Amino acid sequence: MSRWTSPPSRELAEKLLGTVPFRDRFPAGRLKPPVGLIPSPVRGLREAHLLLEPDVRSLPGLNLAALAAWIRRVIGDGELAQALENENRAAHSYVDGCLRAYAVIGDRLTQARQVLDGTAGPDGVIPDEVQS
Amino acid sequence: MYGYAGKILYLDLTARTHRTIETEKYRRWGGGHGMGAALFWDLCPDRTITDGRHPANICCVMTSPLCGTIVPSAGGRCEVTGVGVGMDPISWFTRSGFGGRFSTMLKYAGWDGIVIAGQADRPVWVDIRNRRVSIRDAAGLWGLDTWTAQQEIWRLAGVRPGTRKKWQDLNDPAPSDPRPDSDQGRTTQKPAVLCIGPAGEHQTCQSALIHDAGNGAGQGGFGAVWGAKRLKAISVIGTGSITVADPKALIQARLVTKQKYVVNYEQPDLRSWSRLGGFPRPIIQVPAPTKERRPQSCQGCINGCRARYNVGYGNESACQETSWYGAYSRRVAKSQAEDIEINLRSADLVQKYGFNSFVMQTGLHWLEHLYEEGVLGPGRRVHSDLPWQELGSLAFAEKLIHALSTRTDIGLDLADGWVAAARKWGREEDLRTGAMQFSYWGWPEHGYDPRAELEWGYGSIMGDRDTNTHCFNQIFTTVSAAFAFGLPIRVEAEEMVRLHARKLAPYAQDRPEVFDYSDANMYSEAVAQLVRWQQHYCRFWKQSALYCDLKWPDFYNTSVPGKEGATASPDAGEHVFWNAVTGDRLSFTDGIALGRRIWNLDNAIWILQGRHRDMVHFSPYLYETKYEKGELFPFYMWPCRDETGKWSYTDLMGRVLDKGKFEEWKTIFYRLEGWDTASGWPTRRLLESLELGFVADALQAAGRLGKEDA
Repeated sequence: MSRWTSPPSRELAEKLLGTVPFRDRFPAGRLKPPVGLIPSPVRGLREAHLLLEPDVRSLPGLNLAALAAWIRRVIGDGELAQALENENRAAHSYVDGCLRAYAVIGDRLTQARQVLDGTAGPDGVIPDEVQS
Repeated sequence: MYGYAGKILYLDLTARTHRTIETEKYRRWGGGHGMGAALFWDLCPDRTITDGRHPANICCVMTSPLCGTIVPSAGGRCEVTGVGVGMDPISWFTRSGFGGRFSTMLKYAGWDGIVIAGQADRPVWVDIRNRRVSIRDAAGLWGLDTWTAQQEIWRLAGVRPGTRKKWQDLNDPAPSDPRPDSDQGRTTQKPAVLCIGPAGEHQTCQSALIHDAGNGAGQGGFGAVWGAKRLKAISVIGTGSITVADPKALIQARLVTKQKYVVNYEQPDLRSWSRLGGFPRPIIQVPAPTKERRPQSCQGCINGCRARYNVGYGNESACQETSWYGAYSRRVAKSQAEDIEINLRSADLVQKYGFNSFVMQTGLHWLEHLYEEGVLGPGRRVHSDLPWQELGSLAFAEKLIHALSTRTDIGLDLADGWVAAARKWGREEDLRTGAMQFSYWGWPEHGYDPRAELEWGYGSIMGDRDTNTHCFNQIFTTVSAAFAFGLPIRVEAEEMVRLHARKLAPYAQDRPEVFDYSDANMYSEAVAQLVRWQQHYCRFWKQSALYCDLKWPDFYNTSVPGKEGATASPDAGEHVFWNAVTGDRLSFTDGIALGRRIWNLDNAIWILQGRHRDMVHFSPYLYETKYEKGELFPFYMWPCRDETGKWSYTDLMGRVLDKGKFEEWKTIFYRLEGWDTASGWPTRRLLESLELGFVADALQAAGRLGKEDA
């Protein structure tokens, strides 16, 4: 079971793994000294997850509160948005917030994939052994 | 002349001849950019040209006295000057630089630089072996990518593989070589080659000069300059040496650098705050693809910011070219490992095509915007047959770079300048909305937004292109990273500005207010003094003496008690090394004064090309749209004072530039520089005070000399 969210519906899972229209992209970037701040807008949750993946050379650049709002508004996943807001509130630094968001989003993506490839149970619940 | 080889090679590609210029005549310009600008001034038959592809253009590839020596992070740089390509509204006389071993080899061959004049009637390459120079037919090289071309030149030069045991015998001893006869003319090295790829051959504005696998002179479009001259490559191998005035002082300063300013290897402080003294680390912009790698550095450098990997891709690439495709590759990559591989193979692509990937930093976002808005694509207003739906894949990257390098597809319009293409496509509005973030002179915004980081933006617009000088912006990256991680601030704002200001002689020494980028101070005389210092420092110490932009200046250094960095220091400052090598008695501020002279010579060339203060404007989006929080990063921390004068690190996100106030700032800047505030042109009095009376004469003859203040 996920620590943060219940399994998504099939319809939501497709949206979670999909790409949003260009006009709905989420503004983001990366801090990469000495190049600086590089535009890196996000078109979907998978991209957001890769953007947040810990990287010894750079930092993701995004507004974590705005990310939650974008997930609620564009992806349509209020539960994930709420989980992100909770984690962001608990974070002791921006990077800690990014790490928490990375974990929550990664977990959500796993749920979505399992729903779509049928490894989730008939009630949508994913067995623990599959999650691990 | 200690430190110098003594000769400059002049190539007349039209006549396919060469001659020698005595370096002594240009000694007062120091080296690098200063000499290149002076040579342009003296030798260009038409200083009003505004396209670097013009046959009259003079392109110089210059070294400094420090090249080929052990001066830390200065021995391996090389400066390129000449009129550029693809800027807007005018392609200015401009510059670029690259590292590696080319400048060293050029010095060892007996040359302080190369002047490239004229235009060959068919492709040529230049073969330099010590003082022996041949202009050779390049029919067999034209069309090759930069890596293949270099390998072919090594083959043509008779380089035998296995240099550990195999000597190259040049059979042509260098005159300056003090070694016994038996050692002269022989080396285990292979020639250093600087060349163009398809992007340069097709004379595209985004073309670069490439040396070895990953050293590139990108900005300015010098690949197109060489392409127009039908110059494929210059190969040089030398067996001489550089005579240093005071070897003991040089070694002593290097030891001081190691012992005092550089992080202690036995007890490393991995989070030191310093430029010169930072723990050596690669500047690849993605995680390394493997732990199986070896560091690689320019001649004499103490950092080793690049690497070679056992995976066989990404070798010697670093910095921007390793991330130009990152925002897109992430879309198709299934893992971080795949993302890294796409990025590094995309870096290889631009190196091989001789393509300046910097233009993609914001340019590719604009192209994507046009595609997604239905403007660009098959059968659309801007026709393109490229498979844009595959953006992010390595295959698409290759198709795109091929098109932009060969004037095919949209590359046909973009080759002569991106802003010009926007105009042709009816998309000027994109410069207003910020969909096209090309901030100054037709070049893309760097990663340091002018609405936040003032010296970067102001320096760029008062100069010739994106300034790309990282003198101060480590304040932002270091402090913002500490805030991001919640780490201790190792140098608080007040101490940070004090440490910097201590080094800002002669314009702003001990005036920390020059770093106050708050709304209240952003158009002030103080900020103008900081920009002046940056421009003058860089024109001499970075671009003429050729100290590496990524390690110098070193203002603050937590490895040192008191945290004072090496810059301008009496034990290992820039001038200490310069004097040890050359035997001069130059002070740090003498170097700044030289930089001012060089800066004024550049400005005079720009004025002859058509510059007037009325055209010195940022792109409209910087005046009309906000730099939004979270757009690229959640905060932009910089030292600012509050109304009580108290310093703190403050977030500069969320503001625009005020055009009227920036005009007032320009007036302040011009007045401080001694330029006519109405035109931005220098006055005779100023030029004569800089020993540039001959420049005043030329400007007067052109009716472009500034009026003296009443």
